[in-house]
Amino acid sequence: MTAVHLAPHEVARWALRAGLPLEGDRLDGVTATAQHIHAVVSTLRELDFGEVPPAFAYAAASSGAAVSSYAPGEEAGHGAV
Amino acid sequence: MEPYELTLADAAAAIAAKDLSPVELTESVLRRVAATDGDLRAYVRVDPDRARVAAARAAREIAAGRPRGPLHGVPFALKDLIDVKGWPTTASSRVRAGHVATEDSAVAARLDAAGAVLLGKTHTHEFAYGLTTPQTRNAWDPGRIAGGSSGGSAVAVAAGQAAFTLGTDTGGSIRVPAALNGVVGLKPTYGLVPRHGVTSLSWSLDHVGPLTRTVRDARLVLDALTGHDPRDPASLTAGPLTQPPHAEGDLTGLRVGVPRTYYFDRVAPDVESAVRDAIARLRDLGAELVDVEIPLTRYVQAVQWGLMVPEASAYHEDTLRSEPGRYGEDVRVLLEAGELFHAGDYLRAQRARTLMRQQWARLFEGVDVVAAPAVPLTAVPAGKQSVTWGDGSVEAVSDSYVRLSAPANITGAPALTVPVGQDRAGLPIGMQLIGRPLGERAVLRAGRAYELTRADAGRLAPAAAVEATP
Repeated sequence: MTAVHLAPHEVARWALRAGLPLEGDRLDGVTATAQHIHAVVSTLRELDFGEVPPAFAYAAASSGAAVSSYAPGEEAGHGAV
Repeated sequence: MEPYELTLADAAAAIAAKDLSPVELTESVLRRVAATDGDLRAYVRVDPDRARVAAARAAREIAAGRPRGPLHGVPFALKDLIDVKGWPTTASSRVRAGHVATEDSAVAARLDAAGAVLLGKTHTHEFAYGLTTPQTRNAWDPGRIAGGSSGGSAVAVAAGQAAFTLGTDTGGSIRVPAALNGVVGLKPTYGLVPRHGVTSLSWSLDHVGPLTRTVRDARLVLDALTGHDPRDPASLTAGPLTQPPHAEGDLTGLRVGVPRTYYFDRVAPDVESAVRDAIARLRDLGAELVDVEIPLTRYVQAVQWGLMVPEASAYHEDTLRSEPGRYGEDVRVLLEAGELFHAGDYLRAQRARTLMRQQWARLFEGVDVVAAPAVPLTAVPAGKQSVTWGDGSVEAVSDSYVRLSAPANITGAPALTVPVGQDRAGLPIGMQLIGRPLGERAVLRAGRAYELTRADAGRLAPAAAVEATP
């Protein structure tokens, strides 16, 4: 997990780069929230992904079901009990 | 008994037997809304005239021998993220001022085709990005939160203000308010119910599903909602459920997974006790209980946030720049912070999701259903921000409510919450039943068998009942 924290003025530049001007009174709250989110998602760096693809890899030739992201039933077959 | 007190299935049976007309039922429910919603504030909008026209049409069709099915003539409401042609979809947000939907959502159209009677729209936490729905009061205790984000939909059902409602669920937003208000909530398999015309919070996590008084009712509503719609790119081709080949109430042959990890960690003692008692009833009904290990639990919140935060900020990109002051502060700061999210973090979340799906699929090779608490604690007082657990750890209330819901959003698995009693303060507790993808039959079978053991299944919230003045 990274321990690098962004300062409010750095958050302002990042946001501006994303096309989002943030006024001064927004910076402390956004900085704290962004830092908290970053701390949570950084735990994913612990995982060894190897050849694992992202879940949204899709089948271009599919007609009908789940053509874009994600077909939750595919690995389990049909679940009727 | 007043007609509004009937469950959906009982109302449908009374209509089919010509003991009750859709007009009588709709008028009763409209009176109930008028008597209780000043306090509960579940509704954004009620349209009695439209409802009366729809009820009268249903009555004529049924009288003419053209019944459309169990939802025909039954009054319902939609979470106000779901489009109805000609109505605003407010998302309970000032950002949507002046909005008018130009066509029906897929689910509104399907319920209209089933002959159901639309009463109005119910409150959501703003744009579904929160777990409290602060506009609405808990149906059991007005000093407590409704839960969210489908808080209005849950309270309306709990108070008899609609026979059923629809909600959306991205991190528990059907199951959390359903549990906190003592009703049934079903998050179907990802893609089973089409989302066309439903305002998104997070495309890869969003689901639409029913909130009802009973599991039997949930099945009736789900049957009307399923089926492929090419306008939702995640839509599956699975069709309506068929009746299960089992005697209702008998769970012989069903393998129920009981988590050794995660789902009973940091859970209020009354909640754990009620859910374990309910699991014992599943065993008494013939189910085989199997201990299971929940995979990758350390990464659940990271994956949930890693998917939801950047997707939500992407959805709101334009209005966050053009009218940021119209968002509530809690939602605005999350959307702004999401603008700083790395693509690399999003991809890690998507890859971790692949791992979770694979490992949950292996778990479901050994069981048909996992039974667990729906939420770790009952409804908290309005304004409470955090909870301190027995181990001394402090957790944000919203994180606590999402914690046990998120795995089913990440994996796309169907998950049902069923009322299993109350805590010592008299507040409702929910048991969550999670199935393998497209395993709705097993989930509904277990939930239905359980509710048949309870004399209070389908009850209205007692606080709302006290307020009931005809």
